[in-house]
Amino acid sequence: MQLFVQQIVEGLASGAIYASLALALVLIYRATRIVNFAQGEMATLSVYFAWQLNQWGVPFALSLIIVAAISFVMGALVFRLMIRPVLGASDHTMVVICIGFFIGFEAIALWFWGADPRAFPRLFPDAVWTIGGVRLSANNLGILATLCVLTAGLSALFRFTRIGLAMRASAAEREKSPLVGIPVETMLMLGWGLAATVGFVAAALIAPALFLSPPMMVSVVIYALAAATLGGWDSPTGSIVGGLVVGVAESLCATFVGFIGTDLKVGVPFALMAVILLLRPQGLFGTTAVIRV
Amino acid sequence: MTQGSTEKRLRAAGFAAIGVCLLLVPAIFPDFLVYQFSIVLTYAIAILGLNLLMGFNGQISVAQGVFFAVGAYTTAIFMTRYSVNFLATLPIAVATSALLGLLVGIPALRWQGLPLAFITFGLAVLVPPLALKLESITKGATGISMTKPSPPSWFPGNQDTFLYLLCLAGVVLCVLIAFRLLRGDTGRALRATRDNGLIAESLGVNLAAVRLAAFTTSAGFAGFGGGLFAVINAYVSPESFQMTKSFDFLVGSIVGGITSISGALIGALFIVFLPDWSADMNIALSGLIYGGAMVLMMLVARDGVVGLLSSLTVKLRGALAASAARKTGPGNETIPDRPPERQFQT
Repeated sequence: MQLFVQQIVEGLASGAIYASLALALVLIYRATRIVNFAQGEMATLSVYFAWQLNQWGVPFALSLIIVAAISFVMGALVFRLMIRPVLGASDHTMVVICIGFFIGFEAIALWFWGADPRAFPRLFPDAVWTIGGVRLSANNLGILATLCVLTAGLSALFRFTRIGLAMRASAAEREKSPLVGIPVETMLMLGWGLAATVGFVAAALIAPALFLSPPMMVSVVIYALAAATLGGWDSPTGSIVGGLVVGVAESLCATFVGFIGTDLKVGVPFALMAVILLLRPQGLFGTTAVIRV
Repeated sequence: MTQGSTEKRLRAAGFAAIGVCLLLVPAIFPDFLVYQFSIVLTYAIAILGLNLLMGFNGQISVAQGVFFAVGAYTTAIFMTRYSVNFLATLPIAVATSALLGLLVGIPALRWQGLPLAFITFGLAVLVPPLALKLESITKGATGISMTKPSPPSWFPGNQDTFLYLLCLAGVVLCVLIAFRLLRGDTGRALRATRDNGLIAESLGVNLAAVRLAAFTTSAGFAGFGGGLFAVINAYVSPESFQMTKSFDFLVGSIVGGITSISGALIGALFIVFLPDWSADMNIALSGLIYGGAMVLMMLVARDGVVGLLSSLTVKLRGALAASAARKTGPGNETIPDRPPERQFQT
């Protein structure tokens, strides 16, 4: 029983990370109807920047803030330079472009920093408390708290600010929003920038556990895809719930299903994704798209 | 004399030229390169399958490497464990991969578009660790070694040449099958399903059957390529079938030209020789070029190298014809073979 609860706690913590990355994917999907397979690789590159700044003697916290800003610019630039020219093209084209980013960004990280894994410092202190035999680490609590702050910040941005409203409008009505004076493309660009920053947060949270290496986020992207699919691609709430569910399911299966173990953990999100796509393709919180023919 | 028949003759001449070049490879290049060209041919078969599925039928798949790996492992297992002749293992490899393709293809009917991309992406990530884990079947990280089949006594060349010609025969077979599939009603049904499923269905195309057939065939092609790969490489291990292999095939397909048959060969040449050549400078260079090529192709040349070449020849011929007689008027256009966005030529 203790092990069970312990695994749920661990699962929630990793689930929070998947949820953050899924949130980034959903932000981009809602804005531009693109699933950015490369979100994880872009985030890995950002974490390398932070690591490098830290190596150069910039204080850790400051380097994180600087890189959050760099990530934003990177996401916005990727949209402006490479997505905007083909905006509205078929899913097929977009998948190919995003896989191109995937390969390209991983290669950039490999080019500058090589394939050797590097240790990335934890963002939270090492303290551990034991409550009823279940270990609660400050790191896990910190990760969950980060997710809460991220969610609260994003929903405040979208709900209470003018710019958030404009971003929502651009995502919902790309053709009509310009009529009321919303610079749609700028808003979509902001969306991509924001998603890159959120992705960076996810990667920075998971980097201490996985060690920093160019392919670090490859399997994490599968978890995030599963989380977003589970929650529904047009629902940020759904992606958070989905992320937590995927995290807990992964942790429980890896511990209690002998065949899966640690090697085949990535099968868990895959199976969840397949099942939800068969039973409820729009996801738990998603809405079905109605198409008039 | 219609434009169509000229085009046909030009195409036939092009294929003949490619065929002659391929036949001359063992005579020109040293053994090691002949071996590499054999690898190119096996990749070309897998990419051709991907083109059928993605280019002509419009289904996204990022998991061609998985079916390739299944074919390779099937051949390896039947050759070593059951001592089946290597030629006889190839149909088994095709059947196994096609069966797996069918199994993925059935639920994929519900997953058209992006969901299919997620699932195949997941498959591409999941299968390499699975191959490691199923040690009793795949021998895990050690892999399976085989003996390379030796040429029969009447064969004049050496082993590498023999295996190369074997692969070439495989490619010819696959190209013929692909031609047959793309011609006539089958081809029209494939393309119609891609261009507008709704209209295709209302014209009596059974969407589910066409999509399923395309998925299965494409997987079968990959399985055949994989089986040949196992034979010429004489060794399979999870190392040869990482997730990146699936991406490589995708890159090859896009670079060569997704709606072309000869593009598969160009794509295969690209993904075999580029990493070799660029690794001398930096191991990351090939990835950078791959990624850049994918994005660039989508931005400027959606039909890949072959598309670029053919639009160039069309322009050239147009210019020649205009300067000679300028008699081409309206009503002389060929029926668009591809979605209209790429069809407008001067």
